[in-house]
Amino acid sequence: MTLTIAALLPGLQNTNGDAENAAVLARRAEWAGLAARVVRVDSRDDLPERVDAVVLGSGSDASLEASRDILLTMHDELRRWGTEGVPILAVGSGWELLSWGVERADGSSIEGLGIVPGRAVPRSGRVTGDLVVASPRFGLLVGFENHARDYVRAEGSPVGRVRSGSGNGRDSGQEGVVMGAVIGTHLHGPVLAKNPAFADLLLGIMAERAGLEYAPGERAAAVDAYASAAREALLGATRAAASATDA
Amino acid sequence: MRYAPAILVGRLTRFAARLRKPGGGSAVPGLVVNTIAPGYLKRTLSGFPQGLVVVSGSSGKSTTTKMLVAILRAHGVDVFTNPSTANISQGLTSALLERADWTGRVPGDVAVLEMDEGHGAVVMQGVDARVVALTNVMVDQIDRFHDSEMVAGMLARIAERAHEAVVVNADDANLERLAAAVGPGVAVHRFGVSAGVLARSPRGLGYTETRRDRLAAGAGVIVDSVEGASAVLRDGAASVHIRLPARGTHYAVDAAAAYATAEVVLGERFSPTTAADALSEIPAVFGRGERVHVRGQEVEFVLVQNPASYQLNVDSIEPGTEQILFAIGSDVRDPSYFWPTDASSLGRVAIVSGSKAPEAALMLAYDGVEIDRVEPDLGRALDDFLASPAPAHGVKTIVFSADAMRRTRAHLGLSGAE
Repeated sequence: MTLTIAALLPGLQNTNGDAENAAVLARRAEWAGLAARVVRVDSRDDLPERVDAVVLGSGSDASLEASRDILLTMHDELRRWGTEGVPILAVGSGWELLSWGVERADGSSIEGLGIVPGRAVPRSGRVTGDLVVASPRFGLLVGFENHARDYVRAEGSPVGRVRSGSGNGRDSGQEGVVMGAVIGTHLHGPVLAKNPAFADLLLGIMAERAGLEYAPGERAAAVDAYASAAREALLGATRAAASATDA
Repeated sequence: MRYAPAILVGRLTRFAARLRKPGGGSAVPGLVVNTIAPGYLKRTLSGFPQGLVVVSGSSGKSTTTKMLVAILRAHGVDVFTNPSTANISQGLTSALLERADWTGRVPGDVAVLEMDEGHGAVVMQGVDARVVALTNVMVDQIDRFHDSEMVAGMLARIAERAHEAVVVNADDANLERLAAAVGPGVAVHRFGVSAGVLARSPRGLGYTETRRDRLAAGAGVIVDSVEGASAVLRDGAASVHIRLPARGTHYAVDAAAAYATAEVVLGERFSPTTAADALSEIPAVFGRGERVHVRGQEVEFVLVQNPASYQLNVDSIEPGTEQILFAIGSDVRDPSYFWPTDASSLGRVAIVSGSKAPEAALMLAYDGVEIDRVEPDLGRALDDFLASPAPAHGVKTIVFSADAMRRTRAHLGLSGAE
């Protein structure tokens, strides 16, 4: 039994390397002695028969509509996976497209797929910087955010509370949205590599659904030491910034 | 005569700058002349008897410019060109001053200028070019140019200055759209790769948007095949065999760009054989083109600036290279956008360093690369790396971001550390 991780629209939705989270899941599964593969899904024809996890990254605003139109052809599958508990990690504009919709700064808007509650709304300026989130379910998450929109109406079920950075914005103090195993977040790039506990939680869900056992491999422990050092550097920098602000 | 006073001041400034920093080039003289004689750059650029040729684009413009100049000079043309570090306004004026006589006139039949895509549109205001050659549109220096649409727009403004011809990469969809919009009377010439060459590039060509169709036979200069460091260009009925400065399809595409542009500039005087010989004589480059002798060791420097150059340069490192130092500095604020690249061919890295060392190590580890040591202190990493015995074969190789490069040069006392 091979775990299949679908990377949705890696051509259009991989500006910040978010789609590489699919490879992170596959690598960690292999390190644990499980067979795993990443399937690139650029159109409905590429969809594999069985899907154990889905990764959808962020793209440029110019491709919002094109991406949404392709995602609409997989609307039924996305709904079914969401209901069945298949982990879906959606980042940045990929997440926004799974919401009720995206409002743009010029007043126009794009209807989303409505898989998760909430919608993306313009903010006064782009926010870029480190983002630290305390999540009751996934632990202390660290990463980078880079977005020009806030996210509203996710209050019922955020990923966690913002310790440093902007997150969903609009003074909500919250970041992301969670529905079952569908997770939307602004944490872009290799968030699963930087937050191995988050990755292992998703892998645990995948393994259980597939009737397999998952325990992180030896190689993962060595690699996670690099993740710890990267986390320490980022947490140190945000603490320094916070104390400078307090002073 | 009208620029004689400004030229004199520029010369004196250059002299003063050289006294302060012997051997150093400087943009300051250019800044001074641009300030006291704002028309100088425009007028001088427009004054070459056989006109001005501009090369721009996201990637490959330095190599293409170098190749084009070599082809033109092999045909006996007296060429003025700018060093690639002087591709913005001040540096360009300084470069012109180097060669100017006391009236400000710069000798040469034709000027071939490499133009930075960000500054080119401003430099080119009011300047007419005979020919503008454009290499490609890539997502380059992501912090500087937010998206590829912006780069394409800047290149379009440079292309608007061409009054005779534009030469474009026909595989690049952004450039083809731009070519469709050139003014009446301006010819469009093309270069590109064959379907076979594209099929053998597993990572594609690296352009933001690659066209679905390849250039038809006879519609331009086509890279027909690439084998190691040699390539065959097809130009109409002619097959031209050339040697490249290093392995890599991108060098063959640069050669096709230079060949196609030279053909336009020279017209009937163009000789395929002379062009092929000139291209083949371009000196070999290693990685990003630099091999240095430092602390009794032969060391290769490989600079990575963006995901496309990262991939190309990592691919160009000989598989099995025993000793690699990999340093990413604070200039890469967030390395996330490097993650789609694949560095697995490196196999093993001796030391990962720089202020982003843990993140770089994490990325390499997920590519399946073995890492012997992570040492964020770049000075210590360099000392230890260079103190260890030389590898049994190949050379010690340092892969670095621009900031880590500057720190490396400063630490080792090499020139250009600034």
